[in-house]
Amino acid sequence: MTAGIGPLAALLLADGRLPVGAYVYSAGLEPAVAAGLTREEIPALLRARVRTVCVTEAAAAVLAAREAVARDPVDYGPLQRALAARTPVAPLREVGAALGRGVHRLALRLAPGHPAIAALDTAVLPGPPVLRPLRPVVTGALGAVLGLAEAELARTVVYDDLQAVASAALKLLPGDPLDSVAWVAQTASSVEEAVVEAVATSKPSDLPARSAPLIEQWALEHARTERRLFLA
Amino acid sequence: MHNIRSKAGTVRRTLRLGVAGPVGTGKSSILATLCRELADELSMAVVTNDIYTDEDARFLRSAGVLPAERIRPVETGACPHTAIRDDVSVNLDAVEDMEDAYGPLDVILIESGGDNLTATFSPALVDAQIFCLDVAGGGDVARKGGPGISKADLLVINKTDLAPHVDVDVARMVDDARCAREGLPVLALSKKDASSVAELADWVRSLLARYRADRHTPVDPGPMAPHSHVHEGSHTHGDARP
Ligand SMILES: Nc1nc2c(ncn2[C@@H]2O[C@H](COP(=O)(O)OP(=O)(O)OP(=O)(O)O)[C@@H](O)[C@H]2O)c(=O)[nH]1
Ligand SMILES: [Mg+2]
Repeated sequence: MTAGIGPLAALLLADGRLPVGAYVYSAGLEPAVAAGLTREEIPALLRARVRTVCVTEAAAAVLAAREAVARDPVDYGPLQRALAARTPVAPLREVGAALGRGVHRLALRLAPGHPAIAALDTAVLPGPPVLRPLRPVVTGALGAVLGLAEAELARTVVYDDLQAVASAALKLLPGDPLDSVAWVAQTASSVEEAVVEAVATSKPSDLPARSAPLIEQWALEHARTERRLFLA
Repeated sequence: MHNIRSKAGTVRRTLRLGVAGPVGTGKSSILATLCRELADELSMAVVTNDIYTDEDARFLRSAGVLPAERIRPVETGACPHTAIRDDVSVNLDAVEDMEDAYGPLDVILIESGGDNLTATFSPALVDAQIFCLDVAGGGDVARKGGPGISKADLLVINKTDLAPHVDVDVARMVDDARCAREGLPVLALSKKDASSVAELADWVRSLLARYRADRHTPVDPGPMAPHSHVHEGSHTHGDARP
């Protein structure tokens, strides 16, 4: 079993080469482009995400990590319900569960039989439709098992979201790939604000509910699109 | 997680068979042929990988060879090669969903997306794979080699009925392929030639029997195989990411 590897875990989980199927996700960029977003507006989309969906997801990961180590038996149910309630658009819940499934497979590989990983079954909402554990919940559980500090976990979750946009831009609004790196680097101070807020969250009912109505609207439209590169 | 318990209590997992090969060589047609030939005797499902559409799944559904819900497209985020090799997560999800929904299944067929001679399936996704070329791509392709051509469990040289129209000598193309494959099987196929279709179906039946008897070892064709250029020694190219 791979447990307690500390700081290396942040690099592993944030690496775009992590084989967990995240390449199907543009973190809202493809739906935004379909709605007319231009290349020049990508930094604005990143700023919007870092203040909204990223805060909610990072906070959920932190709460999952705390649940993973704090209690016996571990129950991710309340957190999963709180996060699902703050993801009001069905296609975004579905993609969150699909992405969570990839990380879940990795968690079962790295820490088979670990009680905090086995307990991910408590995050399954029976539905219908059944909702598998959302990615922040799974990432938080795995991060805790690997011994990742809370702030690093939160930063990893935010960073992954921003990089998903930046790298999808190379396919959707192609330009100099170095621009993508610069865009992400420029978000540094807002990323730290999101991290602070995520770590300050104390219980599922306090999970920040940051609505981003356009992101949600575009996601709904995208789900009905036929020719697309990304799930969402 | 991937295992299905049969009624006898023994563990038996569905055979996962990949079909790879360049664009338009007849992969979807092979899937359709196999379903048509085998679906009466075997419980089957299909997963397709398109880059951009669900064209392959639509084609197979309209062929009516399997119930539509047993044919599922996966979306590969414009990374069709990654999805069958470096990161097979999305395909595994689809395969496991099919096994859960329609299991116990005997065979799941997976069609690759993408477009080149070097893309092959990882053994993390399939137990065995067919690599498909066609005569229309030219008689030399088999000699050019590559991981799929030299190491796939079966190499199909497809559309032999077209050979006279494209000036290809099928016997010679098959010989070239046999040389490149050091004894691994090669099948000259045309959907218009019933005996070649029967041979293809028999190959899958016997693969399944070997698999069930635990006499089949999955092989990873791997990245570009070592090969030589004229006037040079042999060497290996790095595996380029798609
Ligand atoms: N003459 C002839 N045509 C064939 C045969 N097999 C397939 N074709 C034709 O070849 C074309 C491409 O076949 P597909 O099965 O769609 O090929 P594919 O490899 O799945 O194509 P992609 O998924 O687009 O890469 C179609 O027009 C088929 O009808 C064959 O045995 N003989
Ligand atoms: Mg096809």
